[in-house]
Amino acid sequence: MTATLTGSAARAVPSAGTAPRPRPRRRVAPYLFVLPALALFAVFKLYPIGRSFVISLHKTVGGTDRFVGADNYERLLHDPLFWTALKNTAVILVVQVPVMLALATGLAVALNSTLLRGRAVFRLGFFLPMVTGLVAYGIVFSVLLNKDYGLVNWLTGLAGLDPVPWLTDPLWAKISLGLALTWHYTGYNAVILLARLQSVPAELYDAAAVDGAGAWTSFRHVTLPGLRPALLLTTVLSTIGTLQIFDEPYVLTGGGPDNATLTIGVYLYQNAFKYFDFGYASAIAYALAVLIGILGVIQFRFLGERS
Amino acid sequence: MELERRRVLRMGGAIAAGAGLTGLTACSGTGGTGATGQGGSAGEQDKGRISVWSWQGPAAEMKALVPEFNKKYPGIEVTVEDIGNPAIWDKITTGLAAGGQGLADVLHIGVDYLPGYVEKFPGGLADLGPLGAGAHRNAFAPGMWQTVSPDGKRVNALPWEANSAGFYYRADLFEKAGVDAGALQTWEETIEAGKAIKAKTGAHLLGIDKPASQADAANFFQMLLQLQGAFYFSLSGDITLDSPEAVKALTLIKTMNDAGLVSDLAGGWNTLMSSLKQGTAAVLPMPTWFGGIIQEQVPEEAGKWKVRLPPAVRRGGSTAATVNSTHLAVAGSSKHQAAAWSFVEFVLTRPASQVQIYKGKGIAPALMAAYDDAVFHEPSPFFSGQKKGEVFLEALKAPSSAFNYTADYARALKLVTDAQSKVLLGGADPAKVLKEAADQLARQTGRKVSR
Repeated sequence: MTATLTGSAARAVPSAGTAPRPRPRRRVAPYLFVLPALALFAVFKLYPIGRSFVISLHKTVGGTDRFVGADNYERLLHDPLFWTALKNTAVILVVQVPVMLALATGLAVALNSTLLRGRAVFRLGFFLPMVTGLVAYGIVFSVLLNKDYGLVNWLTGLAGLDPVPWLTDPLWAKISLGLALTWHYTGYNAVILLARLQSVPAELYDAAAVDGAGAWTSFRHVTLPGLRPALLLTTVLSTIGTLQIFDEPYVLTGGGPDNATLTIGVYLYQNAFKYFDFGYASAIAYALAVLIGILGVIQFRFLGERS
Repeated sequence: MELERRRVLRMGGAIAAGAGLTGLTACSGTGGTGATGQGGSAGEQDKGRISVWSWQGPAAEMKALVPEFNKKYPGIEVTVEDIGNPAIWDKITTGLAAGGQGLADVLHIGVDYLPGYVEKFPGGLADLGPLGAGAHRNAFAPGMWQTVSPDGKRVNALPWEANSAGFYYRADLFEKAGVDAGALQTWEETIEAGKAIKAKTGAHLLGIDKPASQADAANFFQMLLQLQGAFYFSLSGDITLDSPEAVKALTLIKTMNDAGLVSDLAGGWNTLMSSLKQGTAAVLPMPTWFGGIIQEQVPEEAGKWKVRLPPAVRRGGSTAATVNSTHLAVAGSSKHQAAAWSFVEFVLTRPASQVQIYKGKGIAPALMAAYDDAVFHEPSPFFSGQKKGEVFLEALKAPSSAFNYTADYARALKLVTDAQSKVLLGGADPAKVLKEAADQLARQTGRKVSR
């Protein structure tokens, strides 16, 4: 018995000493778990990204791909339509995004206010546009904004105003696009800001009130600094979203009139699927990716530093 | 008996064509992207499961033909899918770019896309020659064979619709204005008539999608060009966007617009339909197939409408032009090319099929034998008792210029619609914007501008 016991104990000791033995199994498991996600990422993201770069160095001539080096990128620099698309996208970025984020901040503060009754209903109301199908809302807007048969002009007509060429005048088309985007995304940004707002400690407001701060002062010195990380996030997300914008101009104006609402996304699409120029379209995609990267870095530098 | 003989003849032709062309295909040595076998080797002619991609009206009409098709080919199971237009173009493009993955066996393709698909995706569409298409070479309207078989050897598709330029007009409005629409010889005269109509009835002469919200905004411009036998490219593929004919066409449009005779159809199809229902314009310069749409949309206006061929651009010039066409092709990746071809042949080369489709949706066949049917020669109560079918048959029989759409048609069209928008919305000079467009197209495509 004893011998057996000692024997088993003796055996138990070295086995305790080789405790790392099951470790390899423990190491494999996490990789196994992330493998499906990694494989999917590699197949559906990494591979297309790489392949797209390879395509961007080629040109299809007579059905065969010919390596042309940086030709497509060079062509990009001398293409007036690419610059028009870039300018249009930049205008939306500079005008629409700040207006939308200011609106979203105002909304978030309002929705956070305890003075407001039925807050949940309002939150839902402002968030609902976000879940509307992009194409569906594009079509609804194009019907609403039709110059001759649209509801908006019918209403302003009742007020005695001249019909506005919402989608047919280069300037108004840009404004219409901005309106549609603002309607669609303001609620989404407001919800992100609202979530952050709720983590700002109430004591800070109390302290500010004790110090005699009014509503504006406490907004400037308590709310805004509190919102900074969320503002950074919404700014970066909106920038990326705006640079890639496609659905709205595609459905609303088709990039027109006379390319007034042509965005980089629409131009990329036209080159790939209308002109079958996949090499050039891929070059546009890479130019866009580089732009987004640069702008993202700049925004993190300026907004992120002090947070 | 007669039918039997025809079938034997056709088979003979098919075999001869097949023997001749398989050799050629083998020699041509073009790199196929998605071709799985050429000619009759891919599947049996009377067996298999095939799918067909088309859109709205034509899809419905092909579906209706399937039971009859199955009486002849019980072994072929056909699924017709309505992909919708313009969605079908993206879907075909994606499929072709993916080497034919996921494509249907039979594809319905417009003349504006066909050359692009053929040039950019060699082998993406099957060569119908070896399957027997050559036997039908002379069955279609003049110019159609050149469209589907530019080199006269490879057959990329079979013609379906051949749409001639038409001039649908509200006879009651013309009458009120005291203008005899039938007597208008040129578009200049028509502009004068338009002024009278605007003054007396308030209606515009016609409508154009001025900001080019849809890709087809330049249809009218293109029609004016084609009436002059001109196009965006010469037959050899040079750019002719700023030819004197093009400048003339755009100048006519500018004159109309400056005189306040052009209503804005921004918004595309829906706006066009609203405008039709509201009677905004006196004239719809639309091709053959549009007659069926008018009849469907405003049935209560029966007897108020008439149709004629469009006035000429220059006095004594042509009033006939085939402005567009659609075709059925077989995917190069199809595993049942022979069965798919059987369906294509059944739909497009039998007068009975085409007559039925014309009756259903007013789709104008390119198949000349179809016009022997009485339905094309009946007076139409909607069009004031006119024999509408005969009007267009006259145009179809007229000598028609062939147009080279090239693989760069989509780019050219975009530049043309932009130029037109500049003229219509900003009052730009037609010659100047067309020259800019031609130069830009040359930079984009590397083609020469013919001046």
